[in-house]
Amino acid sequence: MKDDQRAGPVVWCGIIAVTCLLLVLLEHMLWLAIPFIFGTILYYILLAPMQRLIRAGVGQDAAALTVGGVFFAGLSLVLVVVFSYVAVPDDSWKDVISHYLDGGVAFVRNTTLLLEREFPIVEQMRLTSLVNKTVKSFTANFAQRHLGGILVATAGWLPSLLLAPFLTFFFLRDGTSFKKFLARAVPNAFFEKTLFLLHEVDQTARRYFDGLIKLTVIDTVMLAIGLWLIGVSSPIVLGLISAVLAWVPFVGSVLGCIMVVVVASTDAPANPVIAYGAIGVFVAVRLLDDFIFMPLTLGRSLQIHPLMTVLMIFVGGSLAGVAGLMLVLPILGVVMVVGETLGCLITNARLRARHRNAMALRRQQASVDLR
Amino acid sequence: MIFGFLKSPPLSPRLHRLKNSALFHSLTALELKIVDGLMHERRYLTDEIVFDEGEEGQALYLVTSGRVVISRSHGSGFNVVAELGPGSVFGDLALLDDSPRNAQARAMENCELAVFFRADFLGLMETDAVIGYKISLNLARLIGQRLRDWMGGRPQVEAL
Repeated sequence: MKDDQRAGPVVWCGIIAVTCLLLVLLEHMLWLAIPFIFGTILYYILLAPMQRLIRAGVGQDAAALTVGGVFFAGLSLVLVVVFSYVAVPDDSWKDVISHYLDGGVAFVRNTTLLLEREFPIVEQMRLTSLVNKTVKSFTANFAQRHLGGILVATAGWLPSLLLAPFLTFFFLRDGTSFKKFLARAVPNAFFEKTLFLLHEVDQTARRYFDGLIKLTVIDTVMLAIGLWLIGVSSPIVLGLISAVLAWVPFVGSVLGCIMVVVVASTDAPANPVIAYGAIGVFVAVRLLDDFIFMPLTLGRSLQIHPLMTVLMIFVGGSLAGVAGLMLVLPILGVVMVVGETLGCLITNARLRARHRNAMALRRQQASVDLR
Repeated sequence: MIFGFLKSPPLSPRLHRLKNSALFHSLTALELKIVDGLMHERRYLTDEIVFDEGEEGQALYLVTSGRVVISRSHGSGFNVVAELGPGSVFGDLALLDDSPRNAQARAMENCELAVFFRADFLGLMETDAVIGYKISLNLARLIGQRLRDWMGGRPQVEAL
Protein backbone atom coordinates (compact mmCIF):
# COMPACT_ATOMS: atom_id res chain seq x y z
CA MET A 1 0.00 0.00 0.00
CA LYS A 2 1.45 3.33 -1.07
CA ASP A 3 1.69 6.19 1.42
CA ASP A 4 -0.96 8.28 -0.36
CA GLN A 5 -3.36 5.33 -0.06
CA ARG A 6 -2.88 4.78 3.70
CA ALA A 7 -6.10 4.58 5.67
CA GLY A 8 -7.46 7.63 7.44
CA PRO A 9 -8.88 7.78 11.00
CA VAL A 10 -12.38 6.62 9.96
CA VAL A 11 -11.04 3.53 8.22
CA TRP A 12 -8.76 2.82 11.20
CA CYS A 13 -11.74 3.04 13.60
CA GLY A 14 -13.49 0.51 11.35
CA ILE A 15 -10.40 -1.74 11.34
CA ILE A 16 -10.20 -1.73 15.15
CA ALA A 17 -13.97 -2.28 15.51
CA VAL A 18 -13.95 -5.24 13.08
CA THR A 19 -10.89 -6.72 14.83
CA CYS A 20 -12.68 -6.50 18.20
CA LEU A 21 -15.83 -8.05 16.72
CA LEU A 22 -13.82 -10.93 15.25
CA LEU A 23 -12.12 -11.46 18.63
CA VAL A 24 -15.49 -11.69 20.38
CA LEU A 25 -16.69 -14.19 17.75
CA LEU A 26 -13.40 -16.06 18.10
CA GLU A 27 -13.99 -16.65 21.79
CA HIS A 28 -17.22 -18.49 20.92
CA MET A 29 -15.65 -20.47 18.06
CA LEU A 30 -12.36 -21.43 19.66
CA TRP A 31 -12.93 -25.10 18.75
CA LEU A 32 -12.64 -24.05 15.09
CA ALA A 33 -10.14 -21.20 15.43
CA ILE A 34 -7.33 -23.27 16.96
CA PRO A 35 -7.34 -26.09 14.35
CA PHE A 36 -7.69 -23.37 11.70
CA ILE A 37 -4.48 -21.73 12.95
CA PHE A 38 -2.57 -25.02 13.09
CA GLY A 39 -3.92 -25.86 9.62
CA THR A 40 -2.76 -22.48 8.28
CA ILE A 41 0.72 -22.86 9.79
CA LEU A 42 1.06 -26.35 8.26
CA TYR A 43 -0.26 -24.99 4.94
CA TYR A 44 2.49 -22.38 4.74
CA ILE A 45 5.11 -24.98 5.73
CA LEU A 46 3.96 -27.48 3.08
CA LEU A 47 3.09 -25.04 0.28
CA ALA A 48 6.65 -24.73 -1.13
CA PRO A 49 7.30 -28.51 -1.42
CA MET A 50 3.86 -28.97 -2.97
CA GLN A 51 4.58 -26.28 -5.57
CA ARG A 52 7.85 -28.04 -6.40
CA LEU A 53 5.97 -31.28 -7.00
CA ILE A 54 3.44 -29.50 -9.22
CA ARG A 55 6.29 -28.01 -11.25
CA ALA A 56 7.71 -31.50 -11.61
CA GLY A 57 4.48 -32.52 -13.32
CA VAL A 58 2.48 -33.97 -10.42
CA GLY A 59 -1.23 -33.06 -10.31
CA GLN A 60 -2.63 -30.71 -7.65
CA ASP A 61 -4.52 -33.45 -5.75
CA ALA A 62 -1.64 -35.92 -5.86
CA ALA A 63 0.87 -33.23 -4.79
CA ALA A 64 -1.30 -32.19 -1.82
CA LEU A 65 -1.79 -35.82 -0.79
CA THR A 66 1.92 -36.60 -1.16
CA VAL A 67 3.31 -33.68 0.86
CA GLY A 68 0.60 -34.09 3.52
CA GLY A 69 1.16 -37.84 3.72
CA VAL A 70 4.97 -37.54 3.85
CA PHE A 71 4.79 -34.81 6.50
CA PHE A 72 2.44 -36.71 8.82
CA ALA A 73 4.28 -40.01 8.27
CA GLY A 74 7.56 -38.25 9.13
CA LEU A 75 6.01 -36.58 12.16
CA SER A 76 4.61 -39.90 13.40
CA LEU A 77 8.00 -41.54 12.88
CA VAL A 78 9.78 -38.80 14.84
CA LEU A 79 7.26 -39.08 17.68
CA VAL A 80 7.63 -42.88 17.80
CA VAL A 81 11.43 -42.57 17.87
CA VAL A 82 11.32 -39.85 20.55
CA PHE A 83 8.96 -41.85 22.78
CA SER A 84 11.04 -44.99 22.24
CA TYR A 85 14.31 -43.33 23.26
CA VAL A 86 13.03 -41.07 26.03
CA ALA A 87 13.86 -42.72 29.34
CA VAL A 88 10.68 -44.32 30.61
CA PRO A 89 10.41 -43.54 34.32
CA ASP A 90 10.36 -46.38 36.80
CA ASP A 91 7.41 -44.78 38.56
CA SER A 92 4.15 -43.92 36.85
CA TRP A 93 3.72 -40.57 35.07
CA LYS A 94 1.47 -39.47 37.95
CA ASP A 95 4.36 -39.95 40.39
CA VAL A 96 6.76 -38.13 38.06
CA ILE A 97 4.42 -35.13 37.83
CA SER A 98 3.86 -35.00 41.59
CA HIS A 99 7.65 -35.34 42.04
CA TYR A 100 8.24 -32.25 39.91
CA LEU A 101 5.39 -30.36 41.57
CA ASP A 102 6.88 -31.17 44.99
CA GLY A 103 10.26 -30.00 43.73
CA GLY A 104 8.72 -26.70 42.59
CA VAL A 105 6.93 -26.19 45.90
CA ALA A 106 10.14 -26.97 47.81
CA PHE A 107 11.96 -24.37 45.70
CA VAL A 108 9.37 -21.70 46.52
CA ARG A 109 9.57 -22.57 50.24
CA ASN A 110 13.38 -22.49 50.26
CA THR A 111 13.35 -19.16 48.43
CA THR A 112 10.94 -17.59 50.92
CA LEU A 113 13.03 -18.95 53.82
CA LEU A 114 16.14 -17.44 52.22
CA LEU A 115 14.36 -14.12 51.80
CA GLU A 116 13.25 -14.19 55.44
CA ARG A 117 16.82 -14.85 56.55
CA GLU A 118 18.24 -12.04 54.46
CA PHE A 119 15.48 -9.44 54.90
CA PRO A 120 13.92 -9.09 58.40
CA ILE A 121 10.96 -7.16 57.00
CA VAL A 122 9.95 -10.26 54.98
CA GLU A 123 10.15 -12.35 58.19
CA GLN A 124 7.81 -9.91 59.90
CA MET A 125 5.35 -10.41 57.03
CA ARG A 126 5.41 -14.20 57.73
CA LEU A 127 5.86 -14.86 54.03
CA THR A 128 6.78 -18.54 54.43
CA SER A 129 3.72 -19.28 56.49
CA LEU A 130 1.51 -17.49 53.98
CA VAL A 131 3.02 -19.40 51.05
CA ASN A 132 2.68 -22.73 52.91
CA LYS A 133 -1.00 -22.10 53.62
CA THR A 134 -1.72 -21.10 50.01
CA VAL A 135 0.11 -24.11 48.56
CA LYS A 136 -1.56 -26.49 51.02
CA SER A 137 -5.08 -25.24 50.26
CA PHE A 138 -4.41 -25.41 46.52
CA THR A 139 -2.86 -28.90 46.47
CA ALA A 140 -5.38 -30.39 48.94
CA ASN A 141 -8.34 -29.60 46.68
CA PHE A 142 -6.61 -29.62 43.29
CA ALA A 143 -7.84 -33.07 42.20
CA GLN A 144 -11.45 -32.42 43.22
CA ARG A 145 -11.65 -28.86 41.93
CA HIS A 146 -9.52 -28.69 38.80
CA LEU A 147 -8.24 -32.10 37.61
CA GLY A 148 -11.61 -33.34 36.31
CA GLY A 149 -12.22 -30.11 34.44
CA ILE A 150 -8.75 -30.18 32.88
CA LEU A 151 -9.19 -33.80 31.72
CA VAL A 152 -12.66 -33.13 30.26
CA ALA A 153 -11.40 -30.00 28.46
CA THR A 154 -8.44 -31.96 27.03
CA ALA A 155 -10.72 -34.78 25.85
CA GLY A 156 -13.05 -32.19 24.29
CA TRP A 157 -10.21 -30.47 22.42
CA LEU A 158 -8.64 -33.57 20.88
CA PRO A 159 -11.31 -34.18 18.17
CA SER A 160 -11.25 -30.55 17.07
CA LEU A 161 -7.43 -30.65 16.82
CA LEU A 162 -7.78 -33.58 14.42
CA LEU A 163 -9.44 -31.09 12.04
CA ALA A 164 -6.05 -29.40 11.49
CA PRO A 165 -4.63 -31.99 9.01
CA PHE A 166 -7.92 -32.04 7.07
CA LEU A 167 -7.93 -28.25 6.85
CA THR A 168 -4.28 -28.27 5.70
CA PHE A 169 -5.05 -30.77 2.94
CA PHE A 170 -7.98 -28.77 1.61
CA PHE A 171 -6.06 -25.47 1.86
CA LEU A 172 -3.28 -27.06 -0.21
CA ARG A 173 -5.60 -28.70 -2.73
CA ASP A 174 -8.18 -25.97 -3.21
CA GLY A 175 -6.39 -22.78 -2.10
CA THR A 176 -5.66 -21.53 -5.63
CA SER A 177 -9.12 -22.46 -6.92
CA PHE A 178 -10.72 -20.69 -3.96
CA LYS A 179 -8.70 -17.55 -4.67
CA LYS A 180 -9.83 -17.63 -8.32
CA PHE A 181 -13.41 -18.31 -7.21
CA LEU A 182 -13.32 -15.20 -5.01
CA ALA A 183 -11.73 -13.11 -7.77
CA ARG A 184 -14.42 -14.25 -10.28
CA ALA A 185 -17.12 -12.70 -8.11
CA VAL A 186 -15.47 -9.27 -8.30
CA PRO A 187 -16.65 -6.74 -10.93
CA ASN A 188 -14.13 -5.91 -13.67
CA ALA A 189 -13.60 -2.35 -12.45
CA PHE A 190 -12.33 -3.51 -9.06
CA PHE A 191 -10.58 -6.63 -10.29
CA GLU A 192 -6.92 -5.54 -10.25
CA LYS A 193 -7.28 -3.90 -6.83
CA THR A 194 -8.99 -7.01 -5.48
CA LEU A 195 -6.22 -9.24 -6.79
CA PHE A 196 -3.80 -6.98 -4.99
CA LEU A 197 -5.91 -7.21 -1.82
CA LEU A 198 -6.03 -11.03 -1.91
CA HIS A 199 -2.30 -11.10 -2.49
CA GLU A 200 -1.63 -8.74 0.42
CA VAL A 201 -3.88 -10.74 2.79
CA ASP A 202 -2.05 -13.92 1.80
CA GLN A 203 1.33 -12.21 2.20
CA THR A 204 0.40 -10.78 5.61
CA ALA A 205 -0.71 -14.16 6.94
CA ARG A 206 2.31 -15.87 5.38
CA ARG A 207 4.76 -13.33 6.79
CA TYR A 208 3.17 -13.61 10.25
CA PHE A 209 3.32 -17.39 10.37
CA ASP A 210 6.80 -17.46 8.79
CA GLY A 211 7.91 -14.95 11.41
CA LEU A 212 6.31 -17.03 14.16
CA ILE A 213 8.14 -20.16 13.04
CA LYS A 214 11.47 -18.30 12.78
CA LEU A 215 10.93 -16.77 16.22
CA THR A 216 10.16 -20.21 17.68
CA VAL A 217 13.36 -21.66 16.22
CA ILE A 218 15.47 -18.72 17.49
CA ASP A 219 13.84 -18.89 20.96
CA THR A 220 14.38 -22.65 21.15
CA VAL A 221 18.06 -22.35 20.22
CA MET A 222 18.74 -19.44 22.61
CA LEU A 223 16.91 -21.06 25.53
CA ALA A 224 18.51 -24.45 24.87
CA ILE A 225 22.01 -22.91 24.83
CA GLY A 226 21.32 -20.89 27.99
CA LEU A 227 19.79 -23.81 29.91
CA TRP A 228 22.56 -26.16 28.75
CA LEU A 229 25.22 -23.69 29.96
CA ILE A 230 23.74 -23.52 33.47
CA GLY A 231 23.31 -27.31 33.61
CA VAL A 232 19.54 -27.88 33.34
CA SER A 233 18.57 -31.33 32.03
CA SER A 234 16.83 -31.76 28.60
CA PRO A 235 17.56 -28.17 27.49
CA ILE A 236 16.33 -28.65 23.88
CA VAL A 237 12.94 -30.13 24.89
CA LEU A 238 12.41 -27.46 27.56
CA GLY A 239 13.51 -24.73 25.13
CA LEU A 240 11.13 -25.97 22.42
CA ILE A 241 8.14 -26.26 24.79
CA SER A 242 8.85 -22.79 26.22
CA ALA A 243 9.23 -21.29 22.73
CA VAL A 244 5.87 -22.77 21.64
CA LEU A 245 4.24 -21.53 24.87
CA ALA A 246 5.60 -18.06 24.05
CA TRP A 247 3.19 -17.92 21.09
CA VAL A 248 0.76 -16.64 23.72
CA PRO A 249 2.07 -13.17 24.64
CA PHE A 250 2.90 -12.58 28.36
CA VAL A 251 1.07 -15.65 29.78
CA GLY A 252 2.97 -18.17 27.66
CA SER A 253 6.38 -16.80 28.65
CA VAL A 254 5.49 -16.90 32.36
CA LEU A 255 4.23 -20.50 32.06
CA GLY A 256 7.40 -21.53 30.21
CA CYS A 257 9.58 -19.92 32.86
CA ILE A 258 7.67 -21.63 35.69
CA MET A 259 8.02 -25.01 33.92
CA VAL A 260 11.79 -24.66 33.49
CA VAL A 261 12.32 -23.41 37.07
CA VAL A 262 10.29 -26.33 38.43
CA VAL A 263 12.38 -28.83 36.41
CA ALA A 264 15.67 -27.13 37.38
CA SER A 265 14.81 -26.97 41.09
CA THR A 266 13.64 -30.61 41.16
CA ASP A 267 16.65 -31.97 39.28
CA ALA A 268 19.10 -30.15 41.57
CA PRO A 269 17.31 -29.50 44.89
CA ALA A 270 20.59 -28.88 46.71
CA ASN A 271 21.72 -26.29 44.20
CA PRO A 272 19.12 -23.47 43.90
CA VAL A 273 21.60 -21.44 41.85
CA ILE A 274 20.58 -23.49 38.78
CA ALA A 275 16.92 -22.52 39.23
CA TYR A 276 17.85 -18.86 39.73
CA GLY A 277 20.11 -19.15 36.67
CA ALA A 278 17.14 -20.52 34.67
CA ILE A 279 15.13 -17.43 35.64
CA GLY A 280 18.06 -15.26 34.50
CA VAL A 281 18.24 -17.11 31.17
CA PHE A 282 14.50 -16.62 30.66
CA VAL A 283 14.67 -12.90 31.41
CA ALA A 284 17.68 -12.49 29.09
CA VAL A 285 16.04 -14.41 26.22
CA ARG A 286 12.76 -12.50 26.71
CA LEU A 287 14.62 -9.17 26.52
CA LEU A 288 16.47 -10.30 23.38
CA ASP A 289 13.14 -11.50 22.01
CA ASP A 290 11.25 -8.28 22.68
CA PHE A 291 13.93 -5.89 21.49
CA ILE A 292 15.78 -7.78 18.75
CA PHE A 293 14.19 -11.01 17.49
CA MET A 294 10.51 -10.04 17.54
CA PRO A 295 10.97 -6.71 15.72
CA LEU A 296 13.12 -8.57 13.16
CA THR A 297 10.54 -11.31 12.58
CA LEU A 298 6.93 -10.57 13.60
CA GLY A 299 7.32 -6.77 13.83
CA ARG A 300 8.52 -6.48 10.24
CA SER A 301 5.88 -8.86 9.04
CA LEU A 302 2.84 -6.85 10.13
CA GLN A 303 4.10 -3.25 9.88
CA ILE A 304 1.89 -2.08 12.73
CA HIS A 305 2.92 0.74 15.06
CA PRO A 306 4.45 -0.70 18.31
CA LEU A 307 2.05 1.28 20.53
CA MET A 308 -0.93 -0.04 18.57
CA THR A 309 0.53 -3.57 18.84
CA VAL A 310 0.78 -3.42 22.65
CA LEU A 311 -2.67 -1.81 23.06
CA MET A 312 -4.32 -4.37 20.78
CA ILE A 313 -2.67 -7.24 22.69
CA PHE A 314 -4.35 -5.95 25.87
CA VAL A 315 -7.67 -5.49 24.04
CA GLY A 316 -7.38 -9.03 22.64
CA GLY A 317 -6.70 -10.44 26.10
CA SER A 318 -9.68 -8.67 27.66
CA LEU A 319 -12.08 -9.63 24.84
CA ALA A 320 -11.09 -13.24 24.15
CA GLY A 321 -8.69 -14.33 26.90
CA VAL A 322 -5.61 -16.36 26.04
CA ALA A 323 -6.81 -17.02 22.47
CA GLY A 324 -7.29 -13.28 22.02
CA LEU A 325 -3.74 -12.61 23.20
CA MET A 326 -2.42 -15.12 20.71
CA LEU A 327 -4.51 -14.17 17.68
CA VAL A 328 -5.08 -10.45 17.96
CA LEU A 329 -1.99 -9.53 15.89
CA PRO A 330 -2.59 -11.75 12.84
CA ILE A 331 -6.29 -10.80 12.86
CA LEU A 332 -5.42 -7.11 13.09
CA GLY A 333 -2.85 -7.50 10.28
CA VAL A 334 -5.35 -9.12 7.91
CA VAL A 335 -8.22 -6.74 8.83
CA MET A 336 -5.84 -3.81 8.36
CA VAL A 337 -4.95 -4.88 4.81
CA VAL A 338 -8.61 -5.57 3.91
CA GLY A 339 -9.78 -2.30 5.51
CA GLU A 340 -7.13 -0.16 3.81
CA THR A 341 -7.86 -1.66 0.40
CA LEU A 342 -11.65 -1.47 0.78
CA GLY A 343 -11.28 2.14 1.94
CA CYS A 344 -9.24 2.82 -1.17
CA LEU A 345 -11.83 1.14 -3.45
CA ILE A 346 -14.86 2.81 -1.88
CA THR A 347 -13.35 6.28 -2.05
CA ASN A 348 -12.16 5.90 -5.67
CA ALA A 349 -14.81 7.76 -7.70
CA ARG A 350 -13.37 6.70 -11.07
CA LEU A 351 -13.56 2.96 -10.26
CA ARG A 352 -17.14 3.32 -9.03
CA ALA A 353 -18.07 5.24 -12.20
CA ARG A 354 -16.50 2.51 -14.35
CA HIS A 355 -18.45 -0.12 -12.46
CA ARG A 356 -21.72 1.78 -12.98
CA ASN A 357 -20.88 2.09 -16.67
CA ALA A 358 -20.17 -1.64 -16.96
CA MET A 359 -23.49 -2.43 -15.24
CA ALA A 360 -25.31 -0.14 -17.66
CA LEU A 361 -23.60 -1.85 -20.62
CA ARG A 362 -24.65 -5.25 -19.27
CA ARG A 363 -28.25 -4.13 -18.82
CA GLN A 364 -28.24 -2.64 -22.32
CA GLN A 365 -26.87 -5.82 -23.87
CA ALA A 366 -29.24 -8.05 -21.93
CA SER A 367 -32.28 -6.04 -23.04
CA VAL A 368 -31.25 -5.31 -26.62
CA ASP A 369 -34.09 -7.33 -28.20
CA LEU A 370 -36.69 -6.51 -25.53
CA ARG A 371 -39.33 -3.82 -25.88
CA MET B 1 4.21 -46.13 -31.57
CA ILE B 2 6.07 -48.04 -28.84
CA PHE B 3 7.32 -44.86 -27.29
CA GLY B 4 4.07 -43.02 -27.86
CA PHE B 5 3.51 -42.71 -24.13
CA LEU B 6 6.59 -40.48 -23.96
CA LYS B 7 4.90 -37.87 -26.13
CA SER B 8 3.35 -34.86 -24.44
CA PRO B 9 -0.44 -35.00 -24.28
CA PRO B 10 -2.17 -32.70 -26.81
CA LEU B 11 -2.69 -29.14 -25.61
CA SER B 12 -6.19 -28.06 -24.67
CA PRO B 13 -7.65 -25.18 -26.74
CA ARG B 14 -7.06 -22.89 -23.80
CA LEU B 15 -3.37 -23.81 -23.59
CA HIS B 16 -3.14 -23.49 -27.37
CA ARG B 17 -4.29 -19.88 -27.08
CA LEU B 18 -1.55 -19.24 -24.51
CA LYS B 19 1.02 -21.00 -26.69
CA ASN B 20 0.09 -18.77 -29.63
CA SER B 21 0.88 -15.59 -27.73
CA ALA B 22 4.27 -13.90 -28.09
CA LEU B 23 4.86 -14.03 -24.34
CA PHE B 24 4.37 -17.76 -23.78
CA HIS B 25 5.24 -19.36 -27.13
CA SER B 26 8.51 -20.85 -25.84
CA LEU B 27 6.95 -22.60 -22.82
CA THR B 28 6.54 -26.39 -22.75
CA ALA B 29 3.12 -27.99 -22.21
CA LEU B 30 3.79 -28.49 -18.49
CA GLU B 31 5.07 -24.94 -18.10
CA LEU B 32 2.00 -23.61 -19.93
CA LYS B 33 -0.22 -25.59 -17.56
CA ILE B 34 1.56 -24.05 -14.56
CA VAL B 35 1.21 -20.52 -15.98
CA ASP B 36 -2.44 -21.20 -16.90
CA GLY B 37 -3.08 -22.17 -13.27
CA LEU B 38 -2.00 -18.68 -12.25
CA MET B 39 -4.04 -16.77 -14.83
CA HIS B 40 -7.52 -15.33 -14.33
CA GLU B 41 -10.21 -15.19 -16.99
CA ARG B 42 -12.24 -12.00 -17.45
CA ARG B 43 -15.01 -11.10 -19.88
CA TYR B 44 -15.53 -7.51 -21.05
CA LEU B 45 -18.42 -6.04 -23.03
CA THR B 46 -18.06 -3.71 -25.98
CA ASP B 47 -16.90 -0.28 -24.76
CA GLU B 48 -16.08 -1.50 -21.25
CA ILE B 49 -12.83 -0.07 -19.88
CA VAL B 50 -10.15 -2.62 -18.99
CA PHE B 51 -7.87 -0.09 -17.35
CA ASP B 52 -7.42 3.66 -17.34
CA GLU B 53 -4.45 5.79 -18.24
CA GLY B 54 -2.66 6.84 -15.04
CA GLU B 55 -4.04 3.89 -13.03
CA GLU B 56 -1.59 1.80 -10.99
CA GLY B 57 -0.81 -1.29 -13.06
CA GLN B 58 -1.01 -4.67 -11.34
CA ALA B 59 -1.41 -7.12 -14.19
CA LEU B 60 -0.69 -8.08 -17.77
CA TYR B 61 -3.57 -8.92 -20.16
CA LEU B 62 -3.65 -11.45 -22.95
CA VAL B 63 -6.46 -11.19 -25.51
CA THR B 64 -7.94 -14.66 -25.96
CA SER B 65 -10.93 -13.54 -28.05
CA GLY B 66 -12.35 -10.25 -29.30
CA ARG B 67 -10.54 -6.97 -29.86
CA VAL B 68 -9.18 -4.30 -27.54
CA VAL B 69 -8.36 -0.69 -28.40
CA ILE B 70 -5.48 1.15 -26.75
CA SER B 71 -5.76 4.93 -26.64
CA ARG B 72 -4.05 7.87 -25.01
CA SER B 73 -5.57 11.12 -23.89
CA HIS B 74 -4.67 14.01 -26.17
CA GLY B 75 -6.02 17.39 -25.21
CA SER B 76 -9.73 16.92 -24.64
CA GLY B 77 -10.02 13.67 -26.64
CA PHE B 78 -8.32 10.34 -27.13
CA ASN B 79 -5.84 9.18 -29.76
CA VAL B 80 -6.24 5.55 -30.76
CA VAL B 81 -2.75 4.11 -30.79
CA ALA B 82 -3.34 0.38 -31.32
CA GLU B 83 -6.01 -2.23 -31.90
CA LEU B 84 -5.21 -5.66 -30.56
CA GLY B 85 -6.67 -9.02 -31.50
CA PRO B 86 -6.41 -12.58 -30.12
CA GLY B 87 -2.90 -13.57 -29.02
CA SER B 88 -1.82 -9.98 -28.29
CA VAL B 89 -0.62 -8.93 -24.87
CA PHE B 90 -0.91 -5.51 -23.32
CA GLY B 91 -0.21 -3.90 -19.98
CA ASP B 92 3.03 -5.87 -19.85
CA LEU B 93 5.09 -3.01 -18.43
CA ALA B 94 3.11 -3.53 -15.21
CA LEU B 95 4.98 -6.81 -14.78
CA LEU B 96 8.24 -4.91 -14.58
CA ASP B 97 7.32 -2.01 -12.31
CA ASP B 98 4.27 -0.51 -10.61
CA SER B 99 4.36 2.71 -12.57
CA PRO B 100 1.02 4.15 -13.77
CA ARG B 101 -0.53 2.84 -16.99
CA ASN B 102 0.43 5.11 -19.86
CA ALA B 103 -2.64 4.38 -21.99
CA GLN B 104 -6.26 3.38 -21.62
CA ALA B 105 -7.45 -0.08 -22.71
CA ARG B 106 -11.07 -0.55 -23.77
CA ALA B 107 -12.94 -3.49 -25.29
CA MET B 108 -13.81 -2.81 -28.96
CA GLU B 109 -16.15 -5.78 -28.97
CA ASN B 110 -17.16 -8.42 -26.46
CA CYS B 111 -13.89 -10.03 -25.51
CA GLU B 112 -12.23 -12.51 -23.21
CA LEU B 113 -8.94 -11.68 -21.56
CA ALA B 114 -6.52 -13.80 -19.56
CA VAL B 115 -4.98 -11.81 -16.72
CA PHE B 116 -1.51 -12.46 -15.30
CA PHE B 117 -1.12 -10.76 -11.92
CA ARG B 118 2.29 -9.19 -11.22
CA ALA B 119 2.73 -10.82 -7.80
CA ASP B 120 2.09 -14.25 -9.38
CA PHE B 121 4.71 -13.49 -12.04
CA LEU B 122 7.26 -12.34 -9.46
CA GLY B 123 6.49 -15.42 -7.32
CA LEU B 124 7.01 -17.61 -10.39
CA MET B 125 10.37 -15.91 -11.06
CA GLU B 126 11.46 -16.79 -7.50
CA THR B 127 10.18 -20.35 -7.37
CA ASP B 128 10.57 -21.46 -10.98
CA ALA B 129 13.53 -19.76 -12.57
CA VAL B 130 13.18 -21.56 -15.92
CA ILE B 131 9.63 -20.37 -16.60
CA GLY B 132 10.54 -16.95 -15.21
CA TYR B 133 13.53 -16.65 -17.51
CA LYS B 134 11.55 -17.75 -20.58
CA ILE B 135 8.76 -15.24 -19.95
CA SER B 136 11.28 -12.48 -19.12
CA LEU B 137 13.19 -13.17 -22.34
CA ASN B 138 9.99 -13.07 -24.39
CA LEU B 139 8.98 -9.88 -22.61
CA ALA B 140 12.36 -8.32 -23.37
CA ARG B 141 12.00 -9.35 -27.05
CA LEU B 142 8.51 -7.85 -27.15
CA ILE B 143 9.71 -4.56 -25.70
CA GLY B 144 12.76 -4.61 -28.02
CA GLN B 145 10.48 -5.15 -31.03
CA ARG B 146 8.36 -2.19 -29.97
CA LEU B 147 11.45 -0.04 -29.60
CA ARG B 148 12.55 -1.02 -33.11
CA ASP B 149 9.05 -0.26 -34.44
CA TRP B 150 9.07 3.09 -32.72
CA MET B 151 12.50 3.95 -34.12
CA GLY B 152 11.24 2.86 -37.54
CA GLY B 153 8.52 5.47 -37.37
CA ARG B 154 5.57 3.55 -35.97
CA PRO B 155 4.77 5.63 -32.89
CA GLN B 156 1.74 3.73 -31.52
CA VAL B 157 3.67 0.96 -29.82
CA GLU B 158 5.29 3.19 -27.22
CA ALA B 159 1.93 3.47 -25.49
CA LEU B 160 1.59 -0.19 -24.61
